[in-house]
Amino acid sequence: MAQPEGLLYSKEHEWVKIDGDRATVGITDYAQDSLGDIVYVELPKVGKQVAQSAAVGVVESVKAVSDLFTPVGGEILEVNSALENDPALVNREPFEGGWMFKLKLDGDSQKAGLLSAADYKTFTKEG
Amino acid sequence: MKRTALYGEHVKLRARLIPFGGFDMPVQYESILKEHEAVRKRAGLFDLSHMGQFILEGDGVADWADRLTVNAVPTMKPWQARYNIFTNERGGAHDDVIFYRLENRWLLVVNAGNADKMWKHLNDNAGGSGVKLTSLHGRNSLIAIQGPSSVAMLRPHADFDLNALKYYFCTEGKVYGKDAIVARTGYTGEDGFELFVDGADAPEIWNKLLADNASSGLIPAGLGARDLLRLEAGMPLYGHELTEEITPLQAGLDWVVKLEKPEFLGKAALAAQKSADDYARIVGIVMDGRAPAREGYHVFLGEKRVGEIRSGSIGPSVGNKSIGTALLEKEAATPGTDVVVHIRGTAYGAKVVELPFYKRSYKIGAA
Repeated sequence: MAQPEGLLYSKEHEWVKIDGDRATVGITDYAQDSLGDIVYVELPKVGKQVAQSAAVGVVESVKAVSDLFTPVGGEILEVNSALENDPALVNREPFEGGWMFKLKLDGDSQKAGLLSAADYKTFTKEG
Repeated sequence: MKRTALYGEHVKLRARLIPFGGFDMPVQYESILKEHEAVRKRAGLFDLSHMGQFILEGDGVADWADRLTVNAVPTMKPWQARYNIFTNERGGAHDDVIFYRLENRWLLVVNAGNADKMWKHLNDNAGGSGVKLTSLHGRNSLIAIQGPSSVAMLRPHADFDLNALKYYFCTEGKVYGKDAIVARTGYTGEDGFELFVDGADAPEIWNKLLADNASSGLIPAGLGARDLLRLEAGMPLYGHELTEEITPLQAGLDWVVKLEKPEFLGKAALAAQKSADDYARIVGIVMDGRAPAREGYHVFLGEKRVGEIRSGSIGPSVGNKSIGTALLEKEAATPGTDVVVHIRGTAYGAKVVELPFYKRSYKIGAA
């Protein structure tokens, strides 16, 4: 399983890339592998205010429906519209083309509770 | 949790195992969609050893079974296979099964989840009939090879002319030198064979089939692919389209229900249901968008709730449309009807269609 450095990870298996007051969120390689073939992604509406750890969407594989949580809170700026017609992008490129949404962060104290790549790797091995 | 004789092979193949019908079963190996595609285009290999296998013996088997089921049993020819449904007194489905008529006995294959219930039902009804029942459940294995290439893949390893075997017929022979009952049956909508073999022989047959046909694209396929294949092919899955409450008529299986038979358990209820013709029924559903319809989602005709989704997925063989089955009131069940499916509080448009969603484009049988 890949878990790139420089990203932060949640225990719900989302990753977040923070760049100043902007953040990009997706699900991890571990998450896409556990779910299997992803056939549908429901993303939040642009402009919506979301709280850290809130359920903001849904990721569906052939067999299962899973909530998508946001590891950080803020205002949704953009969602990945490519996933509408090609949800399998999440399986192929979970950290690149398969990103889910971008948001404007509420504040900068949100990194608490998120894991480094090394800690996330340990977490998935224990889990 | 019980294990089939092929459990060790599934572990080696790094299958994802789930409890199903009392057994740890592979739901997928590498990918449900890849396994689905292999079966539609080439072939896939399934372990179905969790299914119940019962042997029925005695002169009276055909007439006895005929009184417990909706389809005709006595008219089956030697070596013929026939889909059938055991019903309860209300006409609901106790289980859907396949009878295989062998030389001097019958093989009955029941759903894994119903195996214990069916074993009791058969024994409860066997008294005085002279029918002898033997359960091979968990001892015998069932390996299915399914897909358009399955005949070419299996033929070199059978000691009989595999291609002479007709659709829904079976024979006894040897596969890789091992005794097998080989049937041209399946649950995928494709050509294919089901091999009933001793559990002790199953790993060797499984591994040889995979090794000898790897270059032709044979891959192991799990229960996830199987469910998707059967849904596209419009075949019912017990617990979804058929239950103790959902009758074969409601499931759209009128062709299976022989009301002209003199007597069978549930006949009166089914005859009354048929003549009243006011019952909720299983239909195909195609969603307007890509959101999958899942079991239990409510279906509306205008403002009125008219039923619920019973199975749903995306259909790779039907343009990745979101497809499913629904049990709908008669007023909403006509193909072409526009309905609404509620998904997580949002209304999505959908259309009622005829089943199946997918039909193979070739004929099965001797070429």
